[in-house]
Amino acid sequence: MIRKLAWIAVIAAGGAWAAQQVETPAPKPPAAKSEDLPKADTILDHFIEVTGGKAAYEARKGEITTGTFEMAAQGLKGPMTAYAAPPDKSYSVMKLEGIGDIQQGTENGIAWDNNPMLGPRVKTGDEKAEALREAAFNGQVDWRSLYDKAETVGVDTIDGEECYKVVLTPAVGKPVTTWFQKKSGLAVKRATTAVTAMGEVPVEVILSDYKNLGGVLQPTKMVQKAAGQEVIISIASVKTEEIPADKFDPPAEVKAKLKQ
Amino acid sequence: MRSLLGVMLCAASAYAQFSAEEKQLDIASFEKVWTTIRDKHWEKNPGGLDWNAIHREFLPKIEQARSADEARDIMRQMLARLKETHFAIFPASVYSDVDVESAGDGSPGIDVRVLEKQAVVTGIDPGSGAEKAGVKPGWVIRSVAGKDLAPAIEKLTADPAIREITLERAISARLSGPVGGKLHVVFLDGANQSRALDLALGEPRGNPSKFGNLPTEYVWTESKKLGNTGYFRFNLFLDLLRVMSGFSDAVESCQHCDGLIIDLRGNPGGIGGMAMGMAGFLVAKPNQRLGTMYMRDTTLNFVINPRAGVFTGPVAILVDGSSASTSEIFAGGLKDLGRARIFGTKTAAAALPSVIEKLPDGDGFQYAIANYISEGGKALEGNGVTPDVEVGLTREALLAGHDPVVDAALDWIQKQRTNR
Repeated sequence: MIRKLAWIAVIAAGGAWAAQQVETPAPKPPAAKSEDLPKADTILDHFIEVTGGKAAYEARKGEITTGTFEMAAQGLKGPMTAYAAPPDKSYSVMKLEGIGDIQQGTENGIAWDNNPMLGPRVKTGDEKAEALREAAFNGQVDWRSLYDKAETVGVDTIDGEECYKVVLTPAVGKPVTTWFQKKSGLAVKRATTAVTAMGEVPVEVILSDYKNLGGVLQPTKMVQKAAGQEVIISIASVKTEEIPADKFDPPAEVKAKLKQ
Repeated sequence: MRSLLGVMLCAASAYAQFSAEEKQLDIASFEKVWTTIRDKHWEKNPGGLDWNAIHREFLPKIEQARSADEARDIMRQMLARLKETHFAIFPASVYSDVDVESAGDGSPGIDVRVLEKQAVVTGIDPGSGAEKAGVKPGWVIRSVAGKDLAPAIEKLTADPAIREITLERAISARLSGPVGGKLHVVFLDGANQSRALDLALGEPRGNPSKFGNLPTEYVWTESKKLGNTGYFRFNLFLDLLRVMSGFSDAVESCQHCDGLIIDLRGNPGGIGGMAMGMAGFLVAKPNQRLGTMYMRDTTLNFVINPRAGVFTGPVAILVDGSSASTSEIFAGGLKDLGRARIFGTKTAAAALPSVIEKLPDGDGFQYAIANYISEGGKALEGNGVTPDVEVGLTREALLAGHDPVVDAALDWIQKQRTNR
């Protein structure tokens, strides 16, 4: 879900003309030698364990997430609801005052978005591949099927905690770097280059405030920086239940686009 | 004699103290200008320069400056090294004339432009105090609330850093007051007779719209047919749902029109993405873009997403010196794509979010935080959009009930129809 929200900042960049820039990363300590580092498989599997275990993930048949997103510098805030189901069905809607409903979804190999400003759009290429990959239900467990390569590339300190830096490279699309705390095993930061309608945008997301939601530990606060904008996503609740299939039907205007 | 010497010593002491304080304010202003550009310019090396070396070069000069004017000149020299427009320092005396705060939300309903150094009424809002008082387009505003406009216009037009849009805003801000109040305005009417009127101040035209931290703005749209040509005008790229819906309806109802006129005169912009969204109703070819915005870490393409029911007939866009930001992105991009013909006068050349801040010494500092290149390869910032057909309003035409810019657009659309 985190990545699905990434493009919002880009949309707002066109509107709010934010002045601030993405922060320059702090100088990093020297990376540990690769032979000293645990394999990425080990780190990723440990993450699954510490967040609830494979069985807990696989017990979930669908997920409804509610929360808010906020662009504090611009004074924009609104509620969001996201639905997800296997294998890669997703639908989310965010209601932003002054813009309206911002929708996006994936279903049956199709990825789309729709908002009052730009209208309906069907994603293609890397953008589509990325949307479908991020929509993969329980993608954390099935990462081996989503990425061709996983590599531990170093150790960074984030908020005073040492973290393993793991790069996941998909067959199509941009690599995703994730930082896992050595101590807790939790993912605390992600970075990638998002492919959006407006171009490629470096995105960083800080993950925090993990809580047991729907049977697994999930971050309930995500602070995302992209295109000079900061978006704070706060998760209020996660319900795990089967979602009716029609929930993922694209809106009529998107279906019309698909026919073109 | 002794007492006179005492006075002179006191005066000298006071002068020295003032000078030292002034120098500190100038140094603080220099640091603010230098730091702002270091942190907010869209290039890590602003203008391709070693910005730290610039600091080392100019700080001693500021420290040795003997007056505020000299310090301002040195800071202007530093900004000139960027070789970019939209970086300027206004003297405090000019800044105070520009930074006029509205006296309230109340408006007499007058649209004003400075034509030949006169504040001329170019439009009257329907149902406004000005309309009820009989004010007509083409009248000249001589004074507002007892203050003559001529000196301020003279001073502001003399400064090359002050653009038309800034001037227009400074005058519009004077035409305000509390809702329900009255504003005493002296006009020169169509017969060049002085007319003193107390205009009722009402709610501004349109619907109040809120977008994030921006102050509430009143947004209106106007859609009509001029013969078989569609005409759509709106005052801001805000109130997204209403404006986009209004534009969508205008396009839909105009599928068989001879052409479409989009009037962006006086429109200072708003939500940048709306330029892409509206262009989607006019451009059928996929993967087209209006231009590209360059920020420090990101490049954003202003891509057009074609809508269902694209209007394919001739499109005329009307602009003037108060068309800025999103208006310029929209007009400039569609011009570059060959999709629209532009009529009017050169736009504000303020496509980007330029910020004007007050410096510690009281001067105003204007700077831009991103660069935007229109699809034709030209920076809009500082250049603006040059119309294909340059035609402006005149007082005479307004008094005669004509709008030469609309007339020129209609003529062109009719010729396109004939040619087809």
